[in-house]
Amino acid sequence: MKHTTLRILFLALIWCLPLLLQGCGEEVPVVQVNLDKRESIKVPVPEPAITYAYLPQYSHEVSYTRHNSLVQYLAKETGFPMRQVFPDTFAEHVRMVERGEIDISFSNPVVYVQLAKMGSEAFARITEPDGSPDFRGQIIVHAQNKSIKDLSDVIGKRWIAVDPHSAGGYIYALGYFLDHDIHSHDFREIAFAPGPGGKQEKAALAVYAGKYDVASIREGALDTVKDKINLQHIRVLALTPEYPGWVYSARKGLDKTIVNQIAKALFKLSLTDKKHANLLKNAHMSGIIPATDADYNAVRTLIHKIDADKKASQPESNPATSSTADK
Amino acid sequence: MLNKIAKMRFRTKLNLGMSLIIISLSLTLAILVTHIATQSLVHETKRRGQVLADNIALRTTGSMLSGDLLMMKEMVDELRTVDKDVAYAFLLNDHGQILAHTFSKGFPIDLKNANVITNSNEPSIRLLNTGADKIYDFAVPVKVGGQVIGQARLGLSHNQVQLVVNGLIITISVVTAITLLISIGISTQFAHKITYRLGVLGKYAESIVRGELNLSQTSGLSRNCWEVYKCDQTECPAYGNTERHCWQFGETLCTNYCSNKSMRDLDNCEECPVFAKNSGDEIHELAETFDVMSLSLRGHIAELEATQADLTHQQEILRTILEASPDQVALLDRDGVFVSTNLAFASFAGKNKDDIVGQKEEDIPSPLNTPESQLETQKILQSGTPVNKESRIVMPDGSRKWFHIARVPVHDENKHSIGVLSTARDITDVKDYQNQLIHSQKLESIGKLAGGVAHEINTPLGIILGYAQLLQEDFTEHDQIHKDLVVIEKQAKFCRKIVADLLNFSRQTKSEKKEMCFNNSIMEVVQLVRHAFKLDSVRIVTDLDDRLPIIYGTPEQLKQVWMNLMSNAVEAIGHNGFISIKTELDISKETITAWFTDSGTGIAPNYIDSIFDPFFSTKPVGKGTGLGLSVSFGIIKDHGGHISAMSPAPAKLLELDNAPSGTRGPGTTFKVVFPLDDSSED
Repeated sequence: MKHTTLRILFLALIWCLPLLLQGCGEEVPVVQVNLDKRESIKVPVPEPAITYAYLPQYSHEVSYTRHNSLVQYLAKETGFPMRQVFPDTFAEHVRMVERGEIDISFSNPVVYVQLAKMGSEAFARITEPDGSPDFRGQIIVHAQNKSIKDLSDVIGKRWIAVDPHSAGGYIYALGYFLDHDIHSHDFREIAFAPGPGGKQEKAALAVYAGKYDVASIREGALDTVKDKINLQHIRVLALTPEYPGWVYSARKGLDKTIVNQIAKALFKLSLTDKKHANLLKNAHMSGIIPATDADYNAVRTLIHKIDADKKASQPESNPATSSTADK
Repeated sequence: MLNKIAKMRFRTKLNLGMSLIIISLSLTLAILVTHIATQSLVHETKRRGQVLADNIALRTTGSMLSGDLLMMKEMVDELRTVDKDVAYAFLLNDHGQILAHTFSKGFPIDLKNANVITNSNEPSIRLLNTGADKIYDFAVPVKVGGQVIGQARLGLSHNQVQLVVNGLIITISVVTAITLLISIGISTQFAHKITYRLGVLGKYAESIVRGELNLSQTSGLSRNCWEVYKCDQTECPAYGNTERHCWQFGETLCTNYCSNKSMRDLDNCEECPVFAKNSGDEIHELAETFDVMSLSLRGHIAELEATQADLTHQQEILRTILEASPDQVALLDRDGVFVSTNLAFASFAGKNKDDIVGQKEEDIPSPLNTPESQLETQKILQSGTPVNKESRIVMPDGSRKWFHIARVPVHDENKHSIGVLSTARDITDVKDYQNQLIHSQKLESIGKLAGGVAHEINTPLGIILGYAQLLQEDFTEHDQIHKDLVVIEKQAKFCRKIVADLLNFSRQTKSEKKEMCFNNSIMEVVQLVRHAFKLDSVRIVTDLDDRLPIIYGTPEQLKQVWMNLMSNAVEAIGHNGFISIKTELDISKETITAWFTDSGTGIAPNYIDSIFDPFFSTKPVGKGTGLGLSVSFGIIKDHGGHISAMSPAPAKLLELDNAPSGTRGPGTTFKVVFPLDDSSED
């Protein structure tokens, strides 16, 4: 009798198993929605504010991550509504400054020289994470590349640079080569690291892998790849002269009062303040100091030299590269 | 219900059970698989929706930051082209403003707040019921550097998922139904195969019950063991036996895998190639067992039949012996009821044998079955003591007979008396012979005594006779003394004859045997008496075998025998008769026989057994000594022969004379048989 009961229970359990399993599903809250009530959507128009742009050498996300908190700080500090805008390219950045869509531009010295031509004026520049207000470029080769012993050996070799608009990664190195009578057409090939993002690292990795013979990067970029390659296999062939670092400039016509208040707020930033230190560290800088347009004459000279050499070499040579620092 | 199931055919039960199992399993599996597949599909749908929402949230970050509405619009529209299940997609900025959406006729107002992200780090999923459709709504925050800059929303149609689920259910149902049908078909065939084989086995068992033991369920071996192992041990019981498999023998001479000789211990056989080639499943093993059982039964039945035949034969012999036996045999049970009797018993009781069996002892009365014997039966049963006795019974015709009666108790295995076996043997003749023997022994003693006496008185008798004859010479013939002496001489001679007969009877006279002519011996006596007998008109007719049989004997003694026989014959005839003498040589038996037949008065039947006794005589006193035939008997016996008397004489011998039959008596014939080669001396 007992066995019969157990047998019936067992069979009932087997039969009810599918029903019991019905309760094992994933439950999702159900919401009643009426899709018939509709309206046309108007394009949201941003409220008027002082626009801040970071030269898009990185993606928008990186730009936002690095500078959004700084923008928030400036708005809070100055009391002006501020908004970060994101040009897609260097050229668009320049055009937006020209059209007045960017009030405060944070760019490299080479681009600033272009903006200055449109009336922008530098009012602050940053100090590098190491505290230096200037920075320079490095020309690196593979340590076991016996064919390149000194700078003159780069002639006929393949050169990979960071970007045509990169100061430390291309322009400064190109100026340095010219100083040593090495021209663009002396290279078998001049290539630029594919982007966007991580272009300094890609240039260093290309030399390490032997794909290119020479690379030009901004000083300090090797620290970012020390976990990926053995730095013992990288030899710094030469260091370019130092030039002023990245610069804050106000567009032509922006109210000086506003510029001053912003400059004042920027100058207040100090690593000694914990909140400020986070902002500065997040923006990859150690501080912001006053700057004038004259600080970038050396860069202007360098650009003139490069352009002159380019013009001089155009009728008689056809360098392998298709890009130059003409912007 | 259970009773109904119990009464079902095994095949029906097997089919029903297997079908129930298959249906149960199929339905359970179908429901389970459908449920799991549905859940997986829904889960996968949600995961896909989540991935799509995450993807659009990631991809749209840049556009959202740069405010590229066209790019955002392209991105959300692209989703609909990528996946048909995507019902809608739209993007909101951090102020909740719609940046881009996929709706062509305005944006549904309620949709924006239908799914609100409560935790900025977690996406939110809601099932929106629009009435016409159900939509999974995925809300994913668009984040940059940990900051939420907007929201991506994606709607996946549940109906599309449901259509897939329905298709899945239909597919599983169809597959289940087909599997079910195939499984039931296979199981039916399987059940049919099993029940068919069981049915065959059942019929086989019925055949065995009916005694048809020559059938076989398992076919012969596909490969025989002696072929596999190239074995030549013809004395092995498995060698050459195609009816039984080698593992069905208890003892084989195989040493390959048969280390354990126990029959049906198949552990050793599993690796044997013979077993591997010829073995089958359990039903096959059952059939093999049936075959072995059939073979064994056949053997046992053959032995039983042989034993039964032998037993029947023995019974027949015993019954024949019992029936042929003149002894009366009867078996009684403990209640005194006849269990078995033989023909002699039934004949003595005057009843049919079958009428006696089953009857009580007192219901079959006979001279032997008396109230005393019934009481005796009870005593034997009670005491277990056998009875062995000789009884003289008076028969209904007044004659008396002697019976030797033996009655023994019959015991069972516990030594308890369960019946009585009675035998009764008619020993009347034995008793007669016994009396004759005692009589002969008495006669022999008398003869020896008489011989001794005769030998002692022979000398004084000779002296008496001699002196009587001498004294006669002293007197004249007319003198009274002479006459008395003559009387003395005559009586002395008579005494001397008596003494001579006594000496002959007691073999105290010695004579030497020699070869002699049997016929001549007879004819010498015939010539001697023919004339004297003729005076009494008694003729002597001879029919002697002319092959001149020669015997080894004493002529004088044999002549005395012939003389005695012829003297007795003429005395039986008296006057006017004949005596026929016939001799015949039987070479095959190496005997010669003489018949002395007279036409006299014959011998009374009650005397015929006593005529050879000494001193037996029917003659008046003084006419005979009663020693003639007994002396003749002794002489013939001494020659290794035999003499017997028949009266009346055989007609064939009487017909040797041509006299009319009315002038002669019944007659007597003495038949004397001699061996040609006498070995009595040895």
